[in-house]
Amino acid sequence: MNLSKDAFGAGDHIEVEVLIIGSGAGGSPTAALLAEAGFDVLIVEEGEWYDQGSIKPFSLDQMEKQYRSGGVTVALGRPSIAYTEGRCAGGGTEVNSGLYKRPPHSMLTKWRDGYQIQNLELDDIDDIADEIERDLSVSYVPGESTLASQALARGATSLGWQNGEIPRWMSYPERGDALSGKRQSMTETYLPRAINAGAILSTGVRVERLEMTDATAGAAVVERRDGKAGRISFRHVFVCCGAIHTPALLQRSGIKGNIGKSLAVHPTVKLSAKFSEEINVDNDVPVHQVTEFFPHSSFGGSASQAGLLALALNDNWRAFRGQITDWRRMSVYYAAITSEGRGRVISVPGMRDPVVTYRLTKNDRTLLAISLGRLALAMLAAGAEAVYPSFRGAPVVRRPADVARLEAGFSATKASVMSVHLCSTVPMGEDPRLCGADSFGRVHGTTNVRVNDASLLPSAPGVNPQATVMALVVRNVRRFIEENVHA
Amino acid sequence: MPEEVQRWSTPPATVITGATGWLGSALIEHLLASERKGLRALLRDGEDASRLEERGVEVVKGDISDKRSVVRLFDGIPSGADVIHTAGVIHPKSLSEFTKVNANGTRYIVEVAQSASIRRMVHVSSNSPFGTNPVESETFRNQEPYNPYLGYGASKMQGELAVLDGVDAGLDAVIVRPPWFYGPYQPARQTTFFTMVRTGKFPMFGGGTQRRSMVYVENLIQGVIAAELTIGVSGRGYWIADERPYEVREIVETVRRALTDEGYEVTGKPRSLPVIIANIAEAADRTLQRLGQYQQQVHVLGEMGHTIACEISAAKAELGYEPEFELYGGMRRSIAWCREQGIEL
Repeated sequence: MNLSKDAFGAGDHIEVEVLIIGSGAGGSPTAALLAEAGFDVLIVEEGEWYDQGSIKPFSLDQMEKQYRSGGVTVALGRPSIAYTEGRCAGGGTEVNSGLYKRPPHSMLTKWRDGYQIQNLELDDIDDIADEIERDLSVSYVPGESTLASQALARGATSLGWQNGEIPRWMSYPERGDALSGKRQSMTETYLPRAINAGAILSTGVRVERLEMTDATAGAAVVERRDGKAGRISFRHVFVCCGAIHTPALLQRSGIKGNIGKSLAVHPTVKLSAKFSEEINVDNDVPVHQVTEFFPHSSFGGSASQAGLLALALNDNWRAFRGQITDWRRMSVYYAAITSEGRGRVISVPGMRDPVVTYRLTKNDRTLLAISLGRLALAMLAAGAEAVYPSFRGAPVVRRPADVARLEAGFSATKASVMSVHLCSTVPMGEDPRLCGADSFGRVHGTTNVRVNDASLLPSAPGVNPQATVMALVVRNVRRFIEENVHA
Repeated sequence: MPEEVQRWSTPPATVITGATGWLGSALIEHLLASERKGLRALLRDGEDASRLEERGVEVVKGDISDKRSVVRLFDGIPSGADVIHTAGVIHPKSLSEFTKVNANGTRYIVEVAQSASIRRMVHVSSNSPFGTNPVESETFRNQEPYNPYLGYGASKMQGELAVLDGVDAGLDAVIVRPPWFYGPYQPARQTTFFTMVRTGKFPMFGGGTQRRSMVYVENLIQGVIAAELTIGVSGRGYWIADERPYEVREIVETVRRALTDEGYEVTGKPRSLPVIIANIAEAADRTLQRLGQYQQQVHVLGEMGHTIACEISAAKAELGYEPEFELYGGMRRSIAWCREQGIEL
């Protein structure tokens, strides 16, 4: 049920105590906790509301409706890296794979020490993670996982590589199977909670900029669905637009500092594996991951319906296109790396979307090649009869010796490198050389502008980041509530 | 030894290739000392056979890259014998030797061993078919994709593939993958290594934080024999190395300490050069090898900028391998051996 409403009505100016910009994994928990603590909260979201389950997951229809720019956005560089962002009520949580990985302690410690994050206690984060797991019904699939998922686990196990099923924020009906889950996205969980506690969600509202007076923001200048302008005055603002649009909005508002200068992603390369049996799952992703090479790289399964399989074969289409008729026996898998490289988000006056750049280092390129080789080896070990790597001029891999040809022929510039995990554009912490926001997300140099989303992660976490984002977000907003007891 | 590791008794005969090489010499000494009977070794024409023959080793003269020699090597060997194939070229005069010896030679051994009803073939491979670690802090797992490092790596990969083809055709064979060795019977290039370290002239790059797995030759021999005698592991390949990888700077410091403790004068200070020099050397090596040429110093220099680290858990669990020596102790024994031989360091 669509819970959003037009907060403006006939007018063009609103006054609120707290404005939250964005309704994804950052904005929604922020809104729920603040509204429940008695704050007067307005959430604005650029996209629209779609009920969870009303659009076929991982479909082209979904890309059109729930992603920014139809799911195709690109970070410039050699190679360019394609990335995707959700743009709808609930943001990326509505469309992602739903895989839940607790924030790794090793990463939290590295961030705390490397970026001087105060009061980042592992126990607190673990307690918050417990809560989030309950709120999102984090669970394993009932019964057997899909054949595509089992194949990855089988291959890794036979090579002696650590792997396992990753739980998801899914709820399953009694006696349901692996495909009967319902995603416990923000429109199912924190957004209804926020609205029940009195928050208002207004969709179709894009924030152009914040009006700054010295170090304090007083209002947001917005564009509404019908193209009309509007203005929202506030005492506090939380910018939760994701790692691309959060720094872009801060830059458009004239805020300087470490904003948008250190984009981190998990660059990802793919292959398609063909088996003797039908393993393709039309509307879900495998739940197993190979964790053996954490934190440097991880392998998992991708959405593999025929259209997406064609995309995966597309890099070497002339040689591989004949395979598409066997799509039922094929599935797409990915290798993601923790990259040394960094990128930038640069808002350009007069352009609606920022320019995004990303640079892979030499080591990143080598790691991508070896990771793709390892993934191919796992597929052979799982019994794949052929593996089709996604890069221009790729060989068909049928035997271990072909993996050597894969690695020799791979170069990142020939591959469709992509990423769905974007973060670190406003890193949190007290080190002024590295951080854009303080230890709890207040933007350095401002009094009341806070960031609360993936932008705060000091680096790419090496695991699916949503759980880490949410845990830090809840921590930060609790601190805000303590410090700003409601009048 | 893990309970599930079961061993055969020693075979009636053991064929050894590369018998005059570093590993081969040390292996034959070890086998003779443990009273292994029925040793047969392949030596090249012109190599002195008398030293081995005096001690009861049957010597066959020939060249591994000539199939007729390999046929002669196995001629009349009793069934149920083992073959330990240590022959290989690592620093060739010309690149074509890589293919002739490491790839073709291994294929001949596989083919002839199979028709000779050999019980187990142990193939001594290398880290080189797997290249270098993608990240300095990472360690190769027991099973990794092939990603050969230049001509040597490609030829050693071809050797492994020949063995795996043999396994598919019914041969019982195990692959052993040692990284950089050290220890008695070392060749001249290792003497140079000691001298360079002793005088502070060994080049470290970027502070020497790259990691290297090494294997003391006695550890390697233990691994090779475990691979020969362990039942039920045909078709498997194993890293055989010291317990853990070492950082290059640790290797240099340890060797200097071992030299001092063996009474050698250690001079100079270990130097660290910018990594770019290793990168340039590697690029030069690639170019030379593309032109069919091989230059040892350039090759070694180019490789020094990389991490080559592997883990040995599979060999421990499946073969019962337990390395006995670590770096300091192994280096002291190596240095003492050099002194006994009258080799000047």
